[in-house]
Amino acid sequence: MAVETKLPPVLDIIRSNIVKYGNPLAMKGSEVASWAKGLNLPKRGDILFYTGGEYQLLPFIDSLVKTMTHIDQGSKGFSLMMGVRNILDKAGFNAEKVYASVLAKDRERYNRVCNKAAHILQRLGYDLCYPGDEELYSGALLYELGFWEDLKEYAQKVVDMIERTGAKTIVCLSPHAAEVLKLIYPQMVPGFSAEIKTFVEMVWEQRDKLPAIPTSKPVVIHDSCRLARELEVDEEIRDILQAVGVPIVEAYRNKKWTTCCGGPSKLLFPELSHTMGSRRVDELEETGAEIILTSCPYCLASLEGGQAKGDKTTVEDLIEFLYRGFAA
Amino acid sequence: MKLDLTKDFAEYAKDLNQASRDANIQKAMARAVKSYRDTTAETMKRYPHTPDLALEVQGIKTNAIENNPDLLQQAMASVERNKGKAFYAKDAEAALALAAQIIGKGKTVVKGKSMLGEEIHLREYLEEQGTEVWETDLGEFILQLKKERPMHILSPAIHVPREQVAEIFSKFFGKEVPPDIAAEVAQVREFMRDKYFTADVGISGANVVAADTGAMVIIENEGNVRLSTGAPPVHIVMVGIEKIVPTFSDAMKVAEVTWRYAQYGIPGYVNIISGPSKTGDIEKVTTYGAHGPKEFYVIFVDNGRSLMARDERFSQALHCLRCGGCMYECPVFQVTAGHFGYTYLGGIGSIWTAFVSGGLEKAAPLLYTCLRCGRCVERCPMSINVPEMVGQLRKMIVNGEQIGDGDLTLAATVGNASQALSS
Repeated sequence: MAVETKLPPVLDIIRSNIVKYGNPLAMKGSEVASWAKGLNLPKRGDILFYTGGEYQLLPFIDSLVKTMTHIDQGSKGFSLMMGVRNILDKAGFNAEKVYASVLAKDRERYNRVCNKAAHILQRLGYDLCYPGDEELYSGALLYELGFWEDLKEYAQKVVDMIERTGAKTIVCLSPHAAEVLKLIYPQMVPGFSAEIKTFVEMVWEQRDKLPAIPTSKPVVIHDSCRLARELEVDEEIRDILQAVGVPIVEAYRNKKWTTCCGGPSKLLFPELSHTMGSRRVDELEETGAEIILTSCPYCLASLEGGQAKGDKTTVEDLIEFLYRGFAA
Repeated sequence: MKLDLTKDFAEYAKDLNQASRDANIQKAMARAVKSYRDTTAETMKRYPHTPDLALEVQGIKTNAIENNPDLLQQAMASVERNKGKAFYAKDAEAALALAAQIIGKGKTVVKGKSMLGEEIHLREYLEEQGTEVWETDLGEFILQLKKERPMHILSPAIHVPREQVAEIFSKFFGKEVPPDIAAEVAQVREFMRDKYFTADVGISGANVVAADTGAMVIIENEGNVRLSTGAPPVHIVMVGIEKIVPTFSDAMKVAEVTWRYAQYGIPGYVNIISGPSKTGDIEKVTTYGAHGPKEFYVIFVDNGRSLMARDERFSQALHCLRCGGCMYECPVFQVTAGHFGYTYLGGIGSIWTAFVSGGLEKAAPLLYTCLRCGRCVERCPMSINVPEMVGQLRKMIVNGEQIGDGDLTLAATVGNASQALSS
């Protein structure tokens, strides 16, 4: 007998935003692609630069979570509010308007991550293409949350988008996108066979061309679960840092034993997620390193959120850190 | 059918948050995690063959689960050959009814720790029937007095510090018990000793069962299992059907891997029990009930396990040895202890909850708590892919599928098994 189960509303909001708008928070394509303005990246080419919109939506996820932390998700008020948001979304949720004043700085920073990543790859000799406002989110959350039937349909749209670019290789900035495209899409879209690479792997192949980053202070690497376990990319990050002359200290739990940043439970259990993020920051800070590096948008946001007030450490994405070498 | 879980999720989230702010839980878990990791690292260094043995055991368990119906028949025949009595219970109700029937009215029972007992609410059921039941495992005894469920499968009272234990004991024993662990342990020892020798029945679980010999392997450290299975005149083993492996030597391998990943080089005691106590010392006439129990019963409990075994997506969940290692590595469990659980705890517990203890409804909040981070898989000696199964079950919830949907063979198999037993 079929049972229709009503789960917390946030799950269905995320689901329907992805399915309807190609993005978990129903951001506009132009908003997702705004980082690429002025770069004139071609829409077709051999290597597709794939942001999946994930770094771009980080500041908005945090706003959503901040709202949820203060509101009981089982309450009528919450459903009502999410309903209003949904109505707004029907015209395309202009998140910028809603949160602009609070988060302009964050938005700028996370948009710049995409920009810096493209810059680094280009300088390493890769010719990138980018579909601009046609870019769609990978659907990783549909897989994660159990909406596999939706993903089957949605994945086809993403594959069509990829095929229009003519690319043979897809560079994913987010390990979540890389995981779902590499390991799940082949089961859902027959014949899908594009080569899926993470940003880290692409940089690793050309690491000899990276400019050195002058520093004597060691960094600590927070391995993302997806990257270290599902995709088995961990030594590559160490090799890259060695190539740019940066000393590394290792956390007690690292590589395939890495500790989750708590990010996955942000939507349903925000307080718990925050606790786990703080604990991971503590583990990383025990090494004495002042810079924490990661290579995943959600880890980046969770670890930053987990820092205590007055923490001396900074959390950076590997992209931001490597860009220092080019900016110097 | 419609099922609204929004309230359940909200209440559960509150419970998790509360647990994560509880100073007792945080203190106890921090100690436990550190001790587990340090001891295990040291133990693995001393016994470096363990990971290879674990791989071998993966093979043993995979085959055993595939051939479970045959092994069950074999194990039952072996128990009977050893002059014990073997039963098959298809669900919790059947298991409880069998136990109650064997025990009879107005009796006293001493019980060893058993997750299966928790699953079917054995103690509560027997108490309702007017049976006096004592949990002999120290941690379980604390929880029995505290009226709480276990917060870890091996260290059930992992969340209760000595100060709180002293309060509970002082109240129960009606005298001042100091917050000193040795004094607390001594107090229980004195109290329990009398129970072992006056109890009518001892009940235990088993970590492994060897089908060829009917040997029950029970791992322990306190010595409570030796006493509660040795002193009373009747011993009942209640064990899940997934614990059966083909041979005695397989069972030894499974047992070693179990305790090694449960942070022991070697446990204090390994009990191997295969039948009632007997002697032939007078005129070579075999007489039962020499020093140990005269009667020996084994109840093999299914309660959803064969359903799991037949579904290739979930059969690996039955490879779980209950070493508890995964829980120490789980970022959620580290801050919430067993609050991330129903009867079975943590990520693997969410799978077990769905099949044997609570169904998808109770499993849903747990399934959505799992981070799918995968560190449990690294720790697990059986490399059980919990994140994969969590994904499958989330999909089932979203699609409105039910456990056992489309399992047409169930009725037939269970019917046959029960018939075979009664004949």
